Amino acid sequence: MNWSIGKSPTRKDSLEKVTGAAKYTADFIGAQMLHVKLAVSSHAHAKLKKIDTAKAKQVPGVHAIILGPASPLTGDEVKDRPIMASDTVRYYGEPIAAVVADHPFQAKKAAELIEVTYEPLPVINSPKEALQPGATLLHKDLATYEKIPHVYPEANTNIANRTKIRKGNISQGWDESDITIEENFSFSPSDHTAMETRCTIVEIKPDGVVHITSSTQAPYKIKKQFAEIFGLEEGKVVVHAPFVGGGYGGKVATQLEFIAYLASVAVGGKPVKLLYTREEDMVSAPVRIGLDASIKLGATKEGKLTAAEITYLIDSGAYSDKGSMLTKAAAATCTGPYNIENVSCDALCVYTNHPYVTAYRGFSHSEILFVFERAMDILAKKLKMDPLVLREKNVFLPGMTTPTQTVLNHSTVGNLPNCIDKLKDLMNWDEGMVVRVADNKLRVKGISCSWKTSTISGASSGVVLLFNPDGSVNVLSGIVEIGMGTKTILAQLLAERLKMDINKIHVQMEVDTKVIPEHYKTAASRGTLLAGRALLKAADDAVSQLKHIASHVLTCSPDDLEVGYEKVYVRDEPETFVQVKDICYGYEFPNGNSIGGQVIGRGNYTLRHLTNLDYETGAGKSGPEWTVGAQGVEIEFDTTDYTYKLLNAYSVIDIGKVLHYKAAMGQVMGAMSMGLNHASAETFQFTQDAIISSPRLRTYGTFRYGDHPQYHVHFFETPHLDGPYGARGVGENGLIGMPAALANSLSIAAGVELTKLPLTPESIWRAKEGDEEK
Amino acid sequence: MISYDFDYHKPTAIQEALELFQALKKQGKKPVYFSGGTEIITLGRVNELVTDAVIDIKAIPECNTYKQDNRLILGAALTLTNVLDLQSFPFLEKAVAEIADNTARNKITLGGNICANIIYREAVLPLLLTDSRILLASLDGLTEKPISELFHQELQLKDGELLVQVMTDLEAIQLPFYIVKKRRQWGVGYPLITVAALRKQNKVHVAISGLCSFPFRNKQMEDSLNNEQLSIDERIEAALKHIPATVLDDVHGSDAYRIFVLKNTLRDILRVLGGAENDG
Repeated sequence: MNWSIGKSPTRKDSLEKVTGAAKYTADFIGAQMLHVKLAVSSHAHAKLKKIDTAKAKQVPGVHAIILGPASPLTGDEVKDRPIMASDTVRYYGEPIAAVVADHPFQAKKAAELIEVTYEPLPVINSPKEALQPGATLLHKDLATYEKIPHVYPEANTNIANRTKIRKGNISQGWDESDITIEENFSFSPSDHTAMETRCTIVEIKPDGVVHITSSTQAPYKIKKQFAEIFGLEEGKVVVHAPFVGGGYGGKVATQLEFIAYLASVAVGGKPVKLLYTREEDMVSAPVRIGLDASIKLGATKEGKLTAAEITYLIDSGAYSDKGSMLTKAAAATCTGPYNIENVSCDALCVYTNHPYVTAYRGFSHSEILFVFERAMDILAKKLKMDPLVLREKNVFLPGMTTPTQTVLNHSTVGNLPNCIDKLKDLMNWDEGMVVRVADNKLRVKGISCSWKTSTISGASSGVVLLFNPDGSVNVLSGIVEIGMGTKTILAQLLAERLKMDINKIHVQMEVDTKVIPEHYKTAASRGTLLAGRALLKAADDAVSQLKHIASHVLTCSPDDLEVGYEKVYVRDEPETFVQVKDICYGYEFPNGNSIGGQVIGRGNYTLRHLTNLDYETGAGKSGPEWTVGAQGVEIEFDTTDYTYKLLNAYSVIDIGKVLHYKAAMGQVMGAMSMGLNHASAETFQFTQDAIISSPRLRTYGTFRYGDHPQYHVHFFETPHLDGPYGARGVGENGLIGMPAALANSLSIAAGVELTKLPLTPESIWRAKEGDEEK
Repeated sequence: MISYDFDYHKPTAIQEALELFQALKKQGKKPVYFSGGTEIITLGRVNELVTDAVIDIKAIPECNTYKQDNRLILGAALTLTNVLDLQSFPFLEKAVAEIADNTARNKITLGGNICANIIYREAVLPLLLTDSRILLASLDGLTEKPISELFHQELQLKDGELLVQVMTDLEAIQLPFYIVKKRRQWGVGYPLITVAALRKQNKVHVAISGLCSFPFRNKQMEDSLNNEQLSIDERIEAALKHIPATVLDDVHGSDAYRIFVLKNTLRDILRVLGGAENDG
């Protein structure tokens, strides 16, 4: 019997959320609580000559004003970022000072009265500019910054990291090619725009224990970083992560927590709350990467790819945060899901005077696929070949080697040809890519393949299972419920393994790092793999304890017993059993003797066999499994004014195993909408001085109700043998092929190769006839 | 969150509102009339609109009027949602239905949009084209005037003067119209440009928002569009010469792109509302 896997049980967090009872960080209010507001930079690059807080101090209710200390420096891989700007601001919106006051409006009023005198410095507005000879250095001390091994900042440049891929022999690749194409692609940084803006509450209790409540995807990282950066004992840092209203990678970064800690210190440890406004959340907090890329592909006239030479310049903004790892991921995934024997790729993490970057759903994959999958369409056109046929000829199959020279197998790569076949079906591909529906209207299809892994080594997760006296089970996992439903999936996995009703499984939603076992980060589509495997191990541990106690009650070997239906029963005589509720706190014999004790299931899981990438060649095992997919978009395009409608969007994904059907559908459709939204509208617009024009939702371009196409999703199930019940990560794949698929459809529709995002009617007009007009 | 303090008054009569305005001024304050409050909230929180006293006009009966005899009278404090629900002025409804989103339209009022700080004020376009009239209140009494007489870039109100009502002849409401809002992308938000047109006595009349930093109706532009001596494209080229100010170049789109879109839109208008006779 299938207890829960593949079904769609009601999410464990749903009632709290639909009734409005669910609490997010900003909802926590305390009588003693003080409030923090920031003064942020109005320049993208400047010396801070003077910060005058005299007027601000006069505002009633103000307790303290904190300026940025020059040290300590922070950063995940390279420690290059002060907690707030101390002598130099490097991006528009960078925090400069923090005011602590009784009420938020007092703090705001005071923050507005802080007078900053700037001495403007030359601004770097793109990765290309940053690499020009003689470009201003944004980090003169780059060479001396503390960093982890396997990140390679280049002294006296604006390069925070470089990852190289050297596979095969590139000149041989060009020799074997009959046809080559070359193109450049670019887009600017953009934002996560999660519904919940970032918020944190920090309090230092009289015993010195620091309590941090935060809208974070990475509570355990905050704990470690606080200990490291502020010299605290890890046992004295406790992070609470309540529900988080969307993260998309943006809440992996630690930023406002550091500021709030300094603020709490300044007011004697009192609890302080720092809630970002939408503008701060968009600009002051870390954002999504921008990219400048150049690509050259070679192929035989039969359409066999022979060589790829690629440069990815990741716009990391003012600091590196996750930029260096995004660079590594970009290099490791550089060719999309295609087998090419000869690859040369340089991915560079480049400092600019843009807001600094952190993870974003897809972690470089969608950005890289935009480039590579556009190039594939350009190549197909030159070869006069159906773009899906070109892809079919080159897709990764078991036995082939990735750009990082890892050999793929059925378990690690899944079945992309199946996905392509199904996509053809769903999209009615035989009808042709272009259908004229009116004089000036075309219905046009575009496609992209996709693949995604997670370049995270050393990631682990722990799960504890506690039994209630009625035999029900409590699940403790450090996964943060950021809206994706993984905690419900953990309950499903347990229901399946223990063969019990999911309604008798209770999941602890809020994470408290003091009492809940660590989970790496709620990121990278790794929740189900890491915590799922840990949970299954914990279930096995509990099962073995239950069997052990039951074996004494039923006087048989534990080997003869099974656990299920809330019973422990003899395998071939199921009518001989003991109830789980009668043994999960030990068993009392009729004569009063007791045996056993409370059953506590423990489990953990660590990703295995991942390696660092070789600096010279990039060789190494970068991630566990790949999730592959084929995606498409159908648009209606107006040939007169270059406007278009999104009619249909398709994703066919090999997700290994469908665990929660509706959650999986929701993940994929939601991700598809993000991909389409990024590709069609979302971007920061920078002035020449790298000031962001109007960082507000009213002009930023997020989808509204009615902007969406019809979404079509289909799953294949080629098991990932390491995954729980064969599941693969599925949180990101819906997104990552969408920008390329949309750009491909529009390039066909407009008859011009589109190389920039977002694809607004104006950007198509510029590509199409802008030059003529001028 | 708004960091400045301001007084809030909610008078129930026009006279009371006008007197309050003067009294607050005498106290050295800079009062503003307040209706839906959306701009005070959204611009106030970023200090783009600063005031120390607001006078809420929503409790004034005349500002909530809806009357229809030989002309339609709409109170300035009716929300855009009210205007849509009344279903009595299709042209105006089409214009306001595209302003902001539903939640905001439940708050934004007709008078508030006409007198807005935000530059688009699209409710004005149908009113200009239908030669609507407005009722203003000042301490000298009530005066009724054509909106075209007082709307130059923005409604030219004297200090303390209050927009009470908008009146439109039913005849004008029946005329064939066309309005299109073009955005940078997708279906909600500010316009790249909004172009409204009305056909009256065989002539096409046009009013535009989003092209310049204010909405406008320009007679010479209309004359060019109705010049039957010229082809459609020539008329449009001639009309473009009469754009009254610098074309916007901002986050929604460049000036050149706005002109491209305007040309396409004018072509559509001339096709739909007539005037295409001479287009060979």
